[in-house]
Amino acid sequence: MEGCPRNRETIGPKLLDLIPQGRKWYQEDKNNIDQEKKLELRLGPPGGDEEDRSAMKKNNNTETRNIKMESEDKSFQGFNSNHFSSSNKTSQKRTAPGPVVGWPPVRSFRKNLASTSSSKLGNESSHGGQINKSNDDDEKQVEPKREGMFVKINMDGVPIGRKVDLNANNSYEQLSFAVDKLFRGLLAAQRESSGGEGEEKPIIGLLDGKGEFTLTYEDNEGDKMLVGDVPWQMFVSSVKRLRVIKSSEISSALTFGCSSKQEKMRH
Amino acid sequence: MTEEEDSSAKMSEDVKRYLKLDPRSSSAATSEPPCSSSSSSSASALANKSRNFKSFEPPCPDHVLENVLENVLQFLTSRCDRNAVSLVCRSWWRVEAQTRFEVFIGNCYSLSPVRLTHRFTRVRSLVLKGKPRFADFNLMPRNWGAQFAPWVAATAKAYPWLEKVHLKRMFVTDDDLALLAESFPGFKDLTLVCCEGFGTSGIAVVANKCRQLKVLDLLESEVTDDEVDWLSCFPAGETHLESLSFDCVESPISFNALEELVVRSPFLKKLRTNRFVSLEELHRLMVRAPQLTSLGTGSFSPDNVLQGEQEPDYAAAFRACKSISCLSGFRDLTPEYLPAISPVCANLTSLNFSYANISPDMLKPIIRNCHNIRVFWALDSICDEGLQAVAATCKELRELRVFPFDPREDSEGPISGVGLQAISEGCRKLESILYFCQRMTNGAVTAMSENCPQLTVFRLCIMGRHRPDHVTGKPMDDGFGAIVKNCKKLTRLAVSGLLTDEAFSYIGEYGKLIRTLSVAFAGNSDRALRYVLEGCPKLQKLEIRDSPFGDVGLRSGMHRYCNMRFVWLSSCVLSRGGCREVAHALPNVVVEVFGSDDDDDDDTVTGDYVETLYLYRSLDGPRKDAPKFVTIL
Repeated sequence: MEGCPRNRETIGPKLLDLIPQGRKWYQEDKNNIDQEKKLELRLGPPGGDEEDRSAMKKNNNTETRNIKMESEDKSFQGFNSNHFSSSNKTSQKRTAPGPVVGWPPVRSFRKNLASTSSSKLGNESSHGGQINKSNDDDEKQVEPKREGMFVKINMDGVPIGRKVDLNANNSYEQLSFAVDKLFRGLLAAQRESSGGEGEEKPIIGLLDGKGEFTLTYEDNEGDKMLVGDVPWQMFVSSVKRLRVIKSSEISSALTFGCSSKQEKMRH
Repeated sequence: MTEEEDSSAKMSEDVKRYLKLDPRSSSAATSEPPCSSSSSSSASALANKSRNFKSFEPPCPDHVLENVLENVLQFLTSRCDRNAVSLVCRSWWRVEAQTRFEVFIGNCYSLSPVRLTHRFTRVRSLVLKGKPRFADFNLMPRNWGAQFAPWVAATAKAYPWLEKVHLKRMFVTDDDLALLAESFPGFKDLTLVCCEGFGTSGIAVVANKCRQLKVLDLLESEVTDDEVDWLSCFPAGETHLESLSFDCVESPISFNALEELVVRSPFLKKLRTNRFVSLEELHRLMVRAPQLTSLGTGSFSPDNVLQGEQEPDYAAAFRACKSISCLSGFRDLTPEYLPAISPVCANLTSLNFSYANISPDMLKPIIRNCHNIRVFWALDSICDEGLQAVAATCKELRELRVFPFDPREDSEGPISGVGLQAISEGCRKLESILYFCQRMTNGAVTAMSENCPQLTVFRLCIMGRHRPDHVTGKPMDDGFGAIVKNCKKLTRLAVSGLLTDEAFSYIGEYGKLIRTLSVAFAGNSDRALRYVLEGCPKLQKLEIRDSPFGDVGLRSGMHRYCNMRFVWLSSCVLSRGGCREVAHALPNVVVEVFGSDDDDDDDTVTGDYVETLYLYRSLDGPRKDAPKFVTIL
C-alpha cells in the first residue's frame, strides 16, 4: 500500500528496514551452552550479520542479568539452538542493547513527538519560527519539523567553540558557508588581538584542501576524518564533532590516535 | 379493545416490519403489548393471545412461540445474552438469528462472510476486527491480511439496510469504501480504527454518496493523501452529521470546505480536526458550532503571530461552547494559548493531552479546575508532579493513560512509582490505567492494587526490558501479584519489567476474570506459560513476545485454544514441530506461523524455528488469502 509517509520510523519490517531500526540482540557464542539446555537466551552486543537471514530472524534473546534470581528451571524445551548463535561481528559498537522492533509498544504516530514539539516546551515560551505553513496557499505545506542537530565545532586558533546545526544544512557546501559565518569574525578578532590583521577574510577552501583551513570531524567511533568524503547523510549520521584545522597540519591531526581510514579514502 | 390498539401503536416499527405473521393472526399478534420484562411476561402474553385470538383455528404453538420470542428478543442487545439464547433450542436459534441486528465479529478469520449472511439475515450493524494488536508495533508483516473486501462484497448483497460498519485493524481499500457507499442507501455510521489501505479518495466517495451519514470517524488509521478535497465532497444542503473525526489524517484539508460543512451540519456534536487546522481556524469553527460536545482542537497553534492586531478571543469561544465535555488534539500546542480552555474545564469529562509536551507548571492551573474528569490521557512530560496534581483534583477519574514523550528504553523517565502511588491515593474510582515509565517499584504497584479495587484494566509498561524494582532490585513479581490478588474485577492485564515464573503463577491462580493478557520479555521457562494456560479461566486473548516459552508451554494450553479468540507468540522458542502438533490435534483452530520479514518469498522452510505463531479458532477452516510468508499448519 502506498502510504502517505507519516513520520513513521518504520513502514513495515522489511529486511532492510530492520537493519538500522531493530538492532537485534543476539547471544555471544561463548555464553552457553549446555547440551541439554539448547536454548540459552541471552543478551549480547547488538548487531549481527546483515546478510544472514536466520540471524535476523532470531531477535528474541532474553537477557539473564546477574542480579536476577537464580532461576533454577530454565527448561527451554528441546530445540535446536542454531538459530541463536550468530556471528560475533557487530555492526555497531555499543555495549548497551539497541532498540528492538516494536518496543516500547507505542504506535508509530506517537513516536515522533520528541522531535516535533521540543521547541514548544512551556519553559521556553517561544513560538517564533513557527511559520512553516505557507500563508498564502490554501494548501499548507508542512515540513516535518525537525529538531536542530547541533554539533560542537572548534577552530584552531580560536579559543571559543561554536555549535552548528547540521539539520539546517543539506550539503557540504552549505555547511562550509555556515562554518565561514560562524568563525569569520572570531578569527579576525583573534588575529587582531594577537597583533595581526583584523580584517575579516572569508574562510574558504574548507573541503578541498586548498584553503588555509580544512574541515575535519570526529565520528561516532572516535575516528578523525576529513569532511566531504562520504555521502552527506552518512556524514550527518556519524558525526560527533567538527574541527577546523590548519591545512598544513592535516596529516598530523588525522593520524594522531586514529584511523587509516582517511588515508584510504583520500586515495 | 382500545387498550390493545394503544399497545399496537407502541410496538416498534421494526418489529412490525419484521414479524413474519400469518395475516389472520396479525391483528391479534400486533395487539400484544411489547414485553418489557422477562420470561414471566411472555407467559402472560401467551395467555392474552389465546384469549384475544379471532381466528377459527388454534395457532400453531411453534409459530406463536416464535412470534412471542421475536417480541421479547428485540430487547436483548447484549451479544452474550443473545449467544446464550441461541443455544436453547433450534427454534430459539432461528428466532435469535432473525432478530439480531448488531453483529460483532472479534476475529474476521474466525468465520467466512458467507456464514455470517446465511445465519443472520437482518443485520443493521457490523463490527469487525482484523489483525491482532501486536501488528500495531510492526511485529506483523504488511499484507498479512484482514481485508475488508470479501466482507463488503458479501454484506452488500445480503444487507441492503446495513447502517453501521465499525472496523478495527482491517485492511480497507478505496474500492471497498466505494462499494460500501453505493450499496447501502441508509448508511449512517462508518468508524475505522487502526485501519489502513485507503486514502482520501475513498473517504470522498463515502462523504459524497452516503446521504444519511451521521458518523464518519477515522481514528488512529493510516490515510493516504490522494490530494482529494474530500471535505468538499459532502453534498450541498443540510447534513445529518453528528460526529466527524479525522485527527489521524496526515494531510492538509481545505479549511473553507470544513467551515462550510460545519455551518450546514446543525446536528454536529463531535468534531475532531487534524493538525492542519490552526488555532485561528479552530476559533472560526467553534464560533460556528457552539453546540459541540466533543472537540479535537487540531494543532492549537496560531498560523500567524499577530502583532499589534487583535487576536481572536479564544477563551470567549470556549466559554460559548457550553456543552464541551471532551477535548483532544493539541497536536502542536503553543503553550501560551493553553489557558484559553479554562472556561470548559469544570465540565470536562474527558481530556486528551497525549500529543502535547505539557510540563507540570502548564498542567496545574488547568487540571485544578477539572473536577469532573473521568478520562485523562497525557504524556509523561507532566512528570510525577503533574500526576500528583491530577490525584489532588480528579476524584472522578476512571481512566488514565500516560504515554512516553520519548519512547526509548534509555530515555529520561520523568514519571515513576511516585506518580502511580499518588494517583492510586487520589483517584480511588480508577478503573483503567495505561502507564509507561522507566522505573517502578513493587510498593507503588501494590499500593495501587490496594487503593483502587475497581480496576478492570491494568497495563504497566516499564520501558527498559527486564528492569527490576529500582529500589529493592527485586523482580516485579510481588507488585503484579498484588494486582491480580486485590483487583478482583481485573479483565485486562499487561505486564513488564523483570518477572519470574512466580509472577505467572499468581496470574494464573488469581486472575479469575482476566480475558486479555499481554506479556513481553518476561518469565523464565515454560512453567510460566503453563501457569497461565492452566489457570485464568476466562482467558480469551493471549499475546506474548520475546519470552522463553516453547513447545511444552504451548502444549499445555491445548485443552482451551478452541475457547479462546487468539494466541500470539512471537520471538519465543517454539519449533515448527510443536506448532504442528497443536494444529493436528485441534482441527478447529487455525495455526499460522510466519517470520517478521515479508520479502521471504521462498517457500522453503527456513529451519525449525518459528518466529511468530498466531493461532485462532475458526469455523470455516484456514483462510484462502494467506500470503506466501504465512504458513498454515
